[in-house]
Amino acid sequence: MSGATDRPVSDLQEFSEPPAVTQEGVAGESPWRLAVRRMRKRRFALFMGAVFVLLVLTMAAAPLWAEHVAHTTPSANHLSDQIEVDGEKVNVVGLDGVPIGPTWQGQFFLGADTNGRDVAVRLLYGGRNSLIIGLGAALITLVLGLVTGLLAGYFRGWTDSILSRIMDVLWAFPVILLGIALGTSLALGGLKLGPVSVSGGSLAIPIFVIAIVYIPYLARPIRGEVLSLREKEFVEAARAQGMGSFRLITSEILPNVLSTGLVFFPLLVANAILLEAALSFLGAGVQPPEPSWGTMIDEGVARIVTAPALAIVPGMMIVLTVLSLNVFGEAIRDSLDPKAKVRIEH
Amino acid sequence: MNLVRDLRDSLIGKLLAVVLISLGLGLAVSACGSSSDEGDSGGSGKEGGEITISQTSQPDYLDPALSYTVNGWEPMWIVYTPLLTYPHVEGTKGGEVIPGLAEDLPKVSNGGKTYELKLRKGLKYSDGQPVVASDFTHTIKRVLNLESGGSFFFENIVGADEYIKNGDPEGDIKGITTNDKTGEIKIDLISPDASFSNILATNFAGLVPGDTPFKNLTEDPPPGVGAYVITKSVPNREFVMEKSPNFASFKIPQIPTGHVDKITTEIIKNANQQAQDVLANKLDYMQDPPPADLKPTVEAEASDRYSETTTGSTYYFFMNTRVAPFNDPKVRQAVNYGIDKPGLARIFAGELAPGCSFLPPGMPGYNEAFDTTDCPYGDPTQPPDLEKAKQLIKEAGVEGTKVTVWGNNDDPTDKVTEAYADMLNQMGFDATPKILDGGVYFQTIGNQKTKAQTGFANWFQDFPHPLNFSFLVDGDSIQDTNNQNFGNVDDPSLNKTINELTLETDLPSVADRWEAWDQELVSPPNSYVAPYGHRKLATFVSDRIDFDAIVFHPLYNNDYSTFKLK
Repeated sequence: MSGATDRPVSDLQEFSEPPAVTQEGVAGESPWRLAVRRMRKRRFALFMGAVFVLLVLTMAAAPLWAEHVAHTTPSANHLSDQIEVDGEKVNVVGLDGVPIGPTWQGQFFLGADTNGRDVAVRLLYGGRNSLIIGLGAALITLVLGLVTGLLAGYFRGWTDSILSRIMDVLWAFPVILLGIALGTSLALGGLKLGPVSVSGGSLAIPIFVIAIVYIPYLARPIRGEVLSLREKEFVEAARAQGMGSFRLITSEILPNVLSTGLVFFPLLVANAILLEAALSFLGAGVQPPEPSWGTMIDEGVARIVTAPALAIVPGMMIVLTVLSLNVFGEAIRDSLDPKAKVRIEH
Repeated sequence: MNLVRDLRDSLIGKLLAVVLISLGLGLAVSACGSSSDEGDSGGSGKEGGEITISQTSQPDYLDPALSYTVNGWEPMWIVYTPLLTYPHVEGTKGGEVIPGLAEDLPKVSNGGKTYELKLRKGLKYSDGQPVVASDFTHTIKRVLNLESGGSFFFENIVGADEYIKNGDPEGDIKGITTNDKTGEIKIDLISPDASFSNILATNFAGLVPGDTPFKNLTEDPPPGVGAYVITKSVPNREFVMEKSPNFASFKIPQIPTGHVDKITTEIIKNANQQAQDVLANKLDYMQDPPPADLKPTVEAEASDRYSETTTGSTYYFFMNTRVAPFNDPKVRQAVNYGIDKPGLARIFAGELAPGCSFLPPGMPGYNEAFDTTDCPYGDPTQPPDLEKAKQLIKEAGVEGTKVTVWGNNDDPTDKVTEAYADMLNQMGFDATPKILDGGVYFQTIGNQKTKAQTGFANWFQDFPHPLNFSFLVDGDSIQDTNNQNFGNVDDPSLNKTINELTLETDLPSVADRWEAWDQELVSPPNSYVAPYGHRKLATFVSDRIDFDAIVFHPLYNNDYSTFKLK
C-alpha cells in the first residue's frame, strides 16, 4: 500500500488544492496558519477539544461546587450523618455499610462512597488532580524529552551513547511496571533531591514518576530528527558563520523540532492521565486522602453490585477526558505535521 | 442454632435423633464401610459424604509449627491435637482448657514453674505410628528451630534460649524431660506463667512424630492426631482433609470425630465468586465473610444459613505516649471521646460490634457493661461527643498540630484509617493518613525509629487469657524493633498488675482484677488506647449443610468437625 493512500482523504484534498492567488500574486502561507486552516475542517476534533475545555473548567470549579452546593470537602466523612431526600431522613451510609446512591440534589448529587464522602465532590477534585498530574507530567516530559533529544542528537558520540543507554533502560521496562516500582517506593519514603524534599503523599510524586517514564517516548524521535537536521545546509551555514553550539541548538534546531513536541503534547497528557488512573487504582499513584479517578474506581469496584455509580462514573470521566484529548491531539498532529506518525505505544 | 438443641433436649427430639443417627450410620456403613464412631455429637443430618469449601488466600502454612493465622488454625485445629485443648462448644465454655492428648490437666508445682503431664495410652498418628512422650519435645523443637511466629510462647521454658542460640535442631531443651515408657512429660519454666496451659493448647503444640523434618512441610503436612488428616496440599490451589482412620478409636472426651468423610478446601481469590457459589450451593462454606457488596443479597436469600458471631478480638487506635501530641493524657482522652464508633462499624458493613473495652468479649475480665452502656466515653453505639473532644484539644493547646495516621491497605483498614484521620481533623488536628502495604505495616509501626504517632491496630486472641492481650500494653514488652506495644504504654500501676496476675493460675479468681486493669487502661485519665469494637465473623454455608449443627468456637471459629450434610 502506498504512503499516499495512508493519509486521510481530507489531507489529500488539501495537498491537491492550488495556493490562493491574489492580485499581488501567489500568497505564501505560514505553517501555523496552514495548520489552523486544517484544524478548522476537523469539526469533530474541535468538538472534542471543546469537550476537554469544558471538562477543565468544570474541574476548576470543584471548590465552588464543594463549598456552595455540596457544603462539604472531598475528604470529609459523613459515616453517621443523615440527609433529607424527598422529605425523608436517609442515612448517608446504611448500618450494613451500603452508601446512599445519587440524590440528584446539591448534597450527594452522585451519592456517597463507603466512607460517606460526597462522590460528586470527589469526582471534581479527583478530575482536578488527574488534570494537574496529566498536564504537569506532560510538560516535564516535553521539556526533558526535548533537552535529551537535542543534546543526544546534536553532540552524538559519548553524550549520545550515555543518554541513549539511559533512555534504553527506561524503555526496557513496561510503563506500568516502572510506574508502580517508582510510585510505590516514592509514596512510602517521599522524594529527597538535595535541598528539595517532597512528602510521599504529594501530587508531585505521581507527576514526577509519570514524567520520567514517558521521556524516552519523546526523546528518541526528537533525537532522530536532530541527527538529520544537524546535517542540513542551513545548520552547516550557521556553523560556518561561527555560531556556537548552544545558540545553534536553540535558534536553528529547536524551532524545527518544536512542532513534533507540540504534536506529542496532548497525547502525552492523555496517556499521563491514563497512567495516573492505573497507578492510583493499584495504590501507587495519588495517595489518600487526595481523591483520584483511579482510586475512586478501586474503591467502587468493591461495591459494584450495591453502588455501581461509584466505579462507573469515574470510569466514564476517564474515557471522556482521554478520548477528547486523543481525538483533538490526533487532529493537531495531522494539521501541524501531516507526514508524522506519532504514536505512544506501551 | 438453638432450635435444634432445644428439640434434641425434648423426648421427641431424642427419639428423632436416635432414628436419624441410626439411619445416617446405616447409610454410612453401607456406603463406605466407615466405623460407627460418632457417639459424641449426635443430632440430625447424615454421616459421611464430601464437601467443598473455600478460602480467599492460602493459609500461611499447613504445618502446625509455623501457622499463625485464622486461615491455618481453623482447619488444622481438627488435624493436630495438642496435649491440652478446648471443648468443641460455643461461648465461654469453649475457652476452658481440657485435656487433649494428655490424660489430665497438668500438675503445676514449684511455684507455678513446673508442669507435669502424662500422655494418654494407645494413641497413634494418622499414619499408624505410635505417639510417644518425646514427640512433645520434638514438636517444641520444631517451633523454636523453624523461627516460628509462635516461638516466643515457648521461650519461657528452661533451656529454650540456649537451644535456639546453639542452632542444632537435634540439641537438647533442658527444661523438657520425657519418658516414652510411662508417657510422662515434665516442663520447667524460667518464671511462672499463668497462661502456660493455654500455650500448651495452642496449635503450635499440636503433636507431630519425632522424625518430622525441621522444615516447612506445607506441601506435605506431617501426620497428627486428630479427627482429620491432610491428604493433599497444593499451595494456592487446594488442600484436602479426610477423616482419620484411627482417631475415633481413641475416644478422647469432648473432641468430636467429625461427620463428613472428606473436606476439600479450594483457594478462590475472588470473594464475590465464593459468595455467589455458596448462594448457589456450588460451594458448601466460605471461610471469609461474604463481601459487603453481597451481604444484602446473602441476608435476603440465605438468612437461614448465615450468621455473625462476635469474636475474641479488639480493634483499637494506638496512640504513641512517647510522641507529641499523644504524650498528653488530655489528647488521648479527646480521641476516645471523639471517635465515631458506630460510624466505623458501618465501614465494616456492620461486622463490628462497637465497644470500648480493650479485653474482648468472652475473655475473663471482660465487663459487658463497661464495653457498652457504662463506657466512660458514652454509649459506643451512639454518636461521639465531639464538643468534649474539641474542648480537651483546646485545653491541651494542640489545635492544628500535624498528625500522621498510620494504616495499611488491607480492606477495610485503609478506609478505617482515612475515617480516623478525618475524625482527628474534626477534633482540631491537621491529620493525614499514611497507608502502607499490609505486609510491612506492623513491622514499620513497631520500629521505634518510625515514631508512629497514632494509627490502626487490632488483635485476635490466641487463647482466652488476658495475658494474651496485656502484652500489647505492657511496659516490659516494649522493644526497639518488632514492638507490639505500638503506643509504648508503660504505666507502673498497669505493669505491676500484669506482673502480679502473671503468677495467678486460678484465672476465675482474679477475673475482677483483670476487669479493673482493663478499665484503668482505657478510662480517663490514662486513656492509653482507643478501642472501638470487636470484629464479628460469619458462618455462611450452602443448603446442603446442617446449619444448626455448626459450632462457632470462640478461638478457632467455625469447627469443621461439626459440619454435617443434611
